[in-house]
Amino acid sequence: MEPAEAEFLAEKELVTIVPNFSLDRIHLIGGDLGPFNPGLPVEVPVWLAINLKQRQKCRLIPPEWMDVAKLEEIREQERKEDTFTPMPSPYYMELTKLLLNYASDNIPKADEIRTLVKDTWDTRVAKLRLSADSFVRQQEAHAKLDNLTLMEINTTGTFLTQALDHMYKLRTNLQPGESSHSQDF
Amino acid sequence: MAGERAAGLVRELHRAAGGHLPPFRVEELRQALEEMRALYEQNQADVSEAKAGRTDLIFLIRFRHCCLLRNQRCILAYLYDRLLRIRALRWEYGSVLPNTIQFHMSAEEVEWFSRYKKSLATYMRSVGGEEGLDLTQDIKPPKSLYIEVRCLKDYGEFEIDDGTTVLLKKNSQHFLPRWKCEQLIRQGVLEHILS
Amino acid sequence: MSEAYFPVGPGLGLEENFLSLDDILMSQEKLPGRAESSLPRLAFVLGQGAGTGDSIPEGTKLEIPLWLAKGLHDSKRRIISVELPKIYKEAWRTVFSADATVVDLHKLGPYYYGFGSQLLNFDNPENPEIAQTLLQTFISRFRRIMDSSQNAYNEDTSVLVARLDELERALFQAGQKGLNDFQCWEKGQASQITASSLVQNYGKRKFTEVDG
Repeated sequence: MEPAEAEFLAEKELVTIVPNFSLDRIHLIGGDLGPFNPGLPVEVPVWLAINLKQRQKCRLIPPEWMDVAKLEEIREQERKEDTFTPMPSPYYMELTKLLLNYASDNIPKADEIRTLVKDTWDTRVAKLRLSADSFVRQQEAHAKLDNLTLMEINTTGTFLTQALDHMYKLRTNLQPGESSHSQDF
Repeated sequence: MAGERAAGLVRELHRAAGGHLPPFRVEELRQALEEMRALYEQNQADVSEAKAGRTDLIFLIRFRHCCLLRNQRCILAYLYDRLLRIRALRWEYGSVLPNTIQFHMSAEEVEWFSRYKKSLATYMRSVGGEEGLDLTQDIKPPKSLYIEVRCLKDYGEFEIDDGTTVLLKKNSQHFLPRWKCEQLIRQGVLEHILS
Repeated sequence: MSEAYFPVGPGLGLEENFLSLDDILMSQEKLPGRAESSLPRLAFVLGQGAGTGDSIPEGTKLEIPLWLAKGLHDSKRRIISVELPKIYKEAWRTVFSADATVVDLHKLGPYYYGFGSQLLNFDNPENPEIAQTLLQTFISRFRRIMDSSQNAYNEDTSVLVARLDELERALFQAGQKGLNDFQCWEKGQASQITASSLVQNYGKRKFTEVDG
């Protein structure tokens, strides 16, 4: 999968906006949207929020977790734990990028948030690499990787699966008995 | 050493990285097939001798047979990998290939491309309702219906949705329906400008 | 790399992938062998003599490609015996187990793992040790390949890559692609439609003659 596709999936997540226009409920194949009333907060998918924001039709209310104090806590937790801690959103990277790009004027301390999320990401990716190495070194057969997000899996996925595939085949070489059966049919 | 010609074909194709299609080697292929024919005929002759008692020839026969199979494998892999590259062109370039690429293809490959194109078109007409669905469009999730593009070369008149035409002239910039220009971008005629 | 062209990958292990260009080139690599009996009329085809009728005498040392060695291999009647290439022998195996990361596998290989796995087809008594060395070498070189392919966006990795065998190179490239795609996305370039690399590869040649 490409990062653009992961971002596309993230655009279906809901965020709250405060519209400055009125519109009745609209019915789409992906679900109903609205109704929109000036000054009344309403939940919409990210793709619509960005579209409305770009046309200055709304104000964005950032997700609860997109907050310096909360993110600092998440970052510290991530640094402390050996395993992956649960993220506030399965699309935390994508949402941070999208919302900060298009609605930074509605998000307090946007730059600090960007840095905190990036720090958390770096910590997690370093952790992923560390565990991949010990996984390979100890020749484990399976691993439990809870709480990883799609974008994280995506970035190292091809590399890791390819490496593990090679390792599996090189390990199969160690058992000549089994494989020689397939040789003389 | 037997099998060298056919291995040479594979080597050349392998060197052409990234799915690039090198010229079809008619002559080398003919020579490799000729070598196979010769190996086969020699074996036919030696098999008769071996049957008449020259059992020391059995190893030689087996050797030639190995060479035959090796040639066969190299040639099949050569032709197959070329088809993979040609198929990729349909997805990345479009249904009409420029002469420069066609010059690199054998008559059979051109024929194969045209059949592949037809069967893909038939399939794409059958999905997505009445209109069909162009599966080669929107390789990346689209962000907007219209996009900003710059012309990288003189292309000429280009008709857009509403029937009007725009003149695609080198270095000119346009705001066009995404689905109309995606292929031209992939072909290197237009450049997608991000806002 | 083109997005629509997926070549047939190498088999790695005892079985080759029939249509893989990589495996064909891998099995083109030679290994030392010896004629265990006199081989009539074979001198010419093996590049050892001038006349088509010349025989190869018993005991002659030969260099034969892997594909041929495999095809002629017969555990019942040993007509040609094959030896291990030196990098799979004990002396080199000791080097690998001491520190595999310093070895230039490309120079020694370049299909170190693929070719080595194929050697296991020849019932050599050292097979278990060879298989073990192949696996351990991969494991001990893994970390460095991962780190440099996932980390070194601006670093020069050419020195490291030059020393990787073909399998490791493909792995390195897969790692770099993951990283590059992500960094492109971070910079906001992921949604850009780009020219196909299949087209760019044709370079400066004229692309104006689109017929039809």
